[in-house]
Amino acid sequence: MSVWNQLQKNSFLESSARQRANGIVDNGTFTELLGPRDRVSSPHLPVLGEAVAFDDGIVTGVGLIGKRPVFVISQEGRFIGGSVGEVGGGKMVATLKLAIGAYHQIKEKYPTSYQGRLPAVVISFETGGVRLHESNAGLLAHAEVMDQFQDARGKIPVISLIGSKIGCFGGMGFVGAATDLIIMSEQGRLGLTGPEVIEQEMGKDEFDASNKALVYRTTGGKHKYIMQDCNFLVEDSIEAFRTQLAEVLTLSMESIEEMRRVGSQKLVEEQLELVKLAVELDPRDSMDVWKYFGNESPAILPELSLTDFLKQAKRRVRKVEGGSVNG
Amino acid sequence: MDKETQRVWDSLNRDTQERMAKARTIVGTGKVISVDKTVALLEAIIKPGDKVNLEGNNQKQADFLADCLCKVDKNKVYDLHMIQSVLSLPSHLDVFEKGIAKKVDFSFSGPQAGRLAQLISDKKIELGAIHTYLELFGRYFIDLVPKVALIVAFQADKEGNLYTGFNTEDTPVIVEATKFKQGIVVAQVNEIVDKLPRIDIPADWVDFVVKSPSPFYIEPLFTRDPALITDSQVLRAMMAIKGIYAEYGVQRLNHGVGFDTAAIELLLPTYGEELGLKGKICSYFSLNPHPTMIPAIESGWVKSIHSFGGELGMEDYVRARPDVFFVGPDGSMRSNRAYSQMAGHYSLDMFIGGTLQIDKYGNSSTATASRVAGFGGAPNMGCDAKGRRHSTEAWLKCGQEYGMSHELVGNLPRGKRLVVQLQETFREKLAPGFVEELDAWKLAKNANLDIPPVMIYGDDLTHVVTEEGIAYLHKCSSLVERTAAIRAVAGYTEVGMLAKPEDTAALRKKGIVKTPEDLGIDISRANRSLLAAKNIRELVTWSKGLYNPPAKFRNW
Repeated sequence: MSVWNQLQKNSFLESSARQRANGIVDNGTFTELLGPRDRVSSPHLPVLGEAVAFDDGIVTGVGLIGKRPVFVISQEGRFIGGSVGEVGGGKMVATLKLAIGAYHQIKEKYPTSYQGRLPAVVISFETGGVRLHESNAGLLAHAEVMDQFQDARGKIPVISLIGSKIGCFGGMGFVGAATDLIIMSEQGRLGLTGPEVIEQEMGKDEFDASNKALVYRTTGGKHKYIMQDCNFLVEDSIEAFRTQLAEVLTLSMESIEEMRRVGSQKLVEEQLELVKLAVELDPRDSMDVWKYFGNESPAILPELSLTDFLKQAKRRVRKVEGGSVNG
Repeated sequence: MDKETQRVWDSLNRDTQERMAKARTIVGTGKVISVDKTVALLEAIIKPGDKVNLEGNNQKQADFLADCLCKVDKNKVYDLHMIQSVLSLPSHLDVFEKGIAKKVDFSFSGPQAGRLAQLISDKKIELGAIHTYLELFGRYFIDLVPKVALIVAFQADKEGNLYTGFNTEDTPVIVEATKFKQGIVVAQVNEIVDKLPRIDIPADWVDFVVKSPSPFYIEPLFTRDPALITDSQVLRAMMAIKGIYAEYGVQRLNHGVGFDTAAIELLLPTYGEELGLKGKICSYFSLNPHPTMIPAIESGWVKSIHSFGGELGMEDYVRARPDVFFVGPDGSMRSNRAYSQMAGHYSLDMFIGGTLQIDKYGNSSTATASRVAGFGGAPNMGCDAKGRRHSTEAWLKCGQEYGMSHELVGNLPRGKRLVVQLQETFREKLAPGFVEELDAWKLAKNANLDIPPVMIYGDDLTHVVTEEGIAYLHKCSSLVERTAAIRAVAGYTEVGMLAKPEDTAALRKKGIVKTPEDLGIDISRANRSLLAAKNIRELVTWSKGLYNPPAKFRNW
């Protein structure tokens, strides 16, 4: 069995950034750009006496899914919690720029038959956000990545994969939310302030970060799926993520645009209604919200297998047209 | 008149009756007392200078009674001598800061270790001694007999019978020592019921029962999430299984708590199966119901497990596997720390666990310069039981290989317990696992201890397993050779850096040091994919839904 075939069965949760990058595109098609051999590492960490990684904790490159070039950004949680600094951030921005450049080139080269050949961007998040050791550069990178999203919008899909150990938190939580669509596993977590920070700032009574069941009920894939914060929920394997990704890539750019959760006046209004609901409902636990959206026995939802969960779970009904597309 | 005829032979009982009479004026005649009278009751039955046993176990805690003891009037109750196996709640030390208690004899202090060291150093606590569990239990019946025991149970009935069930732990040994020397026993319980599932402590050994305002505190200490096991731990587990378990045919054992041993447990149904070891190793355990044992149990590896304590979430699983665990007529397990420790001391072929530091002689310690953590039960198992006379295959083989045997007992065959330490050369935050001098020396100085607290002495340690290799220390015939063997597997620590390549080569030739390569282990296979379960959820699946993990371990 080839390495790629073995990777497919791997737990997405346990896979390294490089394994995810290789496994998420077609067999043998991934080419890493600015990989560890190039040894472009953080200029800030050595000043602070910290160790560097030769890829700065972010794997970037390009592969194929069918005929479409898929530009991959894959974050490595095992290096300083997947934090984004100057070099890693730069690699993210450059990858997005390459993808947008490829879009124009392909359209020019195949003026009548570019459909099915246009590039896509996939970001496999595993990060707590800005690397505090180089916070200004890291923050700037966040802004520049979002800026590229705007340039890519309507041209090429930007897709989030969230199912790694650290989850997707901090500033990168915003970045993830700003992509066109999000594929998660149950083990994936998405949010802004991480559980430990909430506990530290607001106290254990407000949020007990050691209560993992609570953490997953609040930030995990199943909750995000019910809330429509993520579009698709898949099993925890590289293959499951790749299959869902390939399926999404068959959709038109218009359908993909409709899956966005933020990024228009209407969507902002929809989000504001949710804020209003949160105030009115004053939920003590995610389960209160699940119940509100029609799940009669919310306590059983975490226990269900993915298949049963997808069959049984009632999701928030989206008011915006097209927003009800389900995975 | 002859003085002899006037001598009183039941002074202990008379003293108790006096206290009981005083108590009756406060709580009336029944055994069941109310929460708001508890502090006053303690003031009536405890006198200054008493030896008091406050049930602080490894897991369940008499937390309500501990809080009440902190609230007694210190003009009435003071200078107490606390005798308890574990100091784990803040209240266990508050009682000293408030001037109610003065002296302590204990075994383990885990979470309070730092504060305890400070209080000893500030002379706010007079330290009797730090014991192992069995030592302390032994002294309950010799010179540390409690006058008053404040204990904890799940349930009581109206007569005062107690159900301690899954987490019986230390209760029987405390009650027996106290009651049969005419002492007074007070129990806090979660509920008072008409009929108990079974009687663990009979009513006439119990004087008072109080239903605590909230259920007692209990900690799931023995659950290790397989998701946190590293590839390096998998490698050491493979080495241990092939180089020690299989080599000696280890059938009776205890696993210390930690990720290294959790990795071994999860490798039995995969790597162990592959080596054809089922039935040849790991049949009998003295062990808490570790959730990571579930795959091995389900695959038919384990014949029997006796437990020191319970483990939260494992109640239903254990109940459904009575062939393996010790369960009562009612179907629920009864743990018993004293018996399990006794079994651990005398009836095991091997103890295997992790530690913080090993010195160049092979002494190992979990002490740091500013924490008095105590021992718990590990030293009772992590030593060669000198009183052992029965033989087993593993014990005999280890004895035959013992390099010092001839120097000590001449040509007489004698076995030896395998005592194994699994050690990463560098631990979390790059703390070296091997040191020239143990931090225990600094602690002894800081906290005025008579001797540095050592978990396992070098002469008991038979094997060290690191990612570099296994050192078969018992095969060495001198301390010089032993030190060379330790250096050979100590990697890039200060101890390992002094290894001489020619010494290491000679030790490998003699079979005293074996690298993964010498053991025929393919390092590229040493990764998490070998684990029978990679996360808590998979343990639940293995258990067929019977394991019910506490919320802190559920990542769903």
